[in-house]
Amino acid sequence: MFEHGLSVPVLTPQPLPKSPSTVITAEAGLNLSPQMELRVEPLVQPGDRVAQGAPILKDRRRPECVITAPMSGHIAELELGPGRRLTSLIIYREDNGDRHAYDIRAANTEISGAAGASALRTLLQVSGLWMRLRARPFGTVPAPEASPAALFVMAVDTRPLAPDPRVTLGGENEGWLALGLNALGQLCDGPVYFCQDRGPDILPLEKQIRRLRVGPLHPTGLAGFQIHRHFPARLDRSVWEIGAEDVVAIGHLLSTGHLPATRLVGVAGPGLRETLLVRCQPGADLRELCYAHMKPGQQAILSGSVLEGSESRWLGFHDRQVTVIERRQPKSRNHWLETALRRAARAEPIIATAAVEQALGGAFAGMALLRALSVGDDEMASDLGMLSLLEEDMALLDYVTAASPRFSDLLRAALNRIEANI
Amino acid sequence: MIRGIWNRETVALILVASALPVVAAWLWDEGVPGAGRLVFVVVLGGFWQALFTIIRAQPPSAMGAISALAMAMLAPDVGPLQFALGISFGFVFGELVFGGWGRSVLNPAVVAVMFLGFSFPAAAWPSLAIQVGWATIPAAVLLLIFGVMPWRVLAGALIVLIAGGGFSLDLVTSAAAFALVFLVCDPATSASTPAGRWLYGAVFGALIALFTVAWDAAPVQIAVAAALLTSLVGPLLDEMSIAVWRAARRYRHG
Repeated sequence: MFEHGLSVPVLTPQPLPKSPSTVITAEAGLNLSPQMELRVEPLVQPGDRVAQGAPILKDRRRPECVITAPMSGHIAELELGPGRRLTSLIIYREDNGDRHAYDIRAANTEISGAAGASALRTLLQVSGLWMRLRARPFGTVPAPEASPAALFVMAVDTRPLAPDPRVTLGGENEGWLALGLNALGQLCDGPVYFCQDRGPDILPLEKQIRRLRVGPLHPTGLAGFQIHRHFPARLDRSVWEIGAEDVVAIGHLLSTGHLPATRLVGVAGPGLRETLLVRCQPGADLRELCYAHMKPGQQAILSGSVLEGSESRWLGFHDRQVTVIERRQPKSRNHWLETALRRAARAEPIIATAAVEQALGGAFAGMALLRALSVGDDEMASDLGMLSLLEEDMALLDYVTAASPRFSDLLRAALNRIEANI
Repeated sequence: MIRGIWNRETVALILVASALPVVAAWLWDEGVPGAGRLVFVVVLGGFWQALFTIIRAQPPSAMGAISALAMAMLAPDVGPLQFALGISFGFVFGELVFGGWGRSVLNPAVVAVMFLGFSFPAAAWPSLAIQVGWATIPAAVLLLIFGVMPWRVLAGALIVLIAGGGFSLDLVTSAAAFALVFLVCDPATSASTPAGRWLYGAVFGALIALFTVAWDAAPVQIAVAAALLTSLVGPLLDEMSIAVWRAARRYRHG
């Protein structure tokens, strides 16, 4: 059969290196997606010294949402805005700090005895790893006592210039990956899907975990399309998703009591002189990562891929890549007639070409879904599989068709309406 | 941060580019009167598009040129006033009142030509030269390469035409070839689901075969009538295939 999806050619000086170098930036911050917005209860004060992995923030109403220190250091800035929303959090690195150790005995006894998962839940929640889970529909952090109908572990990334997750899944991490998968299996009543590329098996899987092989083209490597295809999420059926590296982190925590200090990040894009593959802390300072390697001229540093990434100072919570692109100069003002012809009040509709079909990964009723989204027919869109998708799944389509308004925004608006109505 | 190119106007410009060989072949055959008709339709269609741009803030589309070409080629031979009325009806009620190309259900050329055909049944239908039919082949190839043409529609129609035993160059006339490539395979008005597209093409092929056998009419009339009926069943075919897909999904995923 045909391979569904598109390859997005984005220039970069060299292909990503095979082995990463470790970089811990001097500052780190927090860059959460709007769906994860916190009403913060600080657990530390500005000036406090924190150990790597120690909890520093907590959500007031959702105690399962905990943010931990990405590295040992001291809190340089912690400011809350209206409604106790976090406005800024900056941590300075201190080199000889220690690592926070979590008590893992209860969770390990529970896993080895296969006796429920309450201690494991608690451990994941206090250590902040619970926030790495994303529940669909809506893309929120799962409720503390919830249990998913299915769990998707994504060990594949097809975004343009994304690093290959295999790099971080070999060696000692393989054991931690197996341990983490085993722990997640306790958490999930339904099937666990392990999505990987077409290469050799990343690790031998136990019987209850199903292996899905995903082609090399975007967007098939996004969790949304795998969920849409293999186990669609519904309002009464929540499907969770987690990256394979986060599963390694769970395994790491369960065997050592510490949170891993780094994560694999690819730094690439046409604005660089050199492509990098680094292991850096979560929330790393992107300027420090990129500045030494950037081409002269105005560049924009995006956290995330070129399709859905946004300009940011800090590495995004779920992002595993940084893209540096040339900043477009804002164009001088056009003549009003040209503007009227190009950008009328009514946006141009999408034409159902092969590009659109492939940008939706060959999802069957793609065009009908787009029509339902653009007219705001939430019921129809839910029937056609919208509840399995998130904004990032529409990013390729928005890029390919230059759609305005963006389908990512339409999808988020529809999800928000549905969420408000239940 | 970056934007791609596959917006509506890119698709429309590719369609216009692929129509150039057809225009050349048709003008070679028709000469100056044909060119005059084409210019007339383009000007009138442009007028209506401009009016809708100014009044309804609806962006104009280069696809109007394809519709104008199809109207100039396929419309029956009526007086200039009637012709102007017919093409205005086609542009306005076939496309512009729905929001322009991409939001309409029918192709404006099909609407205009059938409107004139029904209104003036005595008018003579044009006949297209054989080289116009040949010229649709490079057009179809170009559209398939760019992924603008829904290949399933083309394949469905060709399979039915071949299987119907009616496939010969006499039967699949230039009119049918042109209607298939530019009216039925219009990506905006054809069915949009894969199964719906196969059926959509098949319906067009079946109607052409049926009309050729059972209806003593001009090839152009047969082709455009088949295109009209096909685009009318298009939404139904989509609805059916989506219903089947949803039922299968409910069965599979509970």
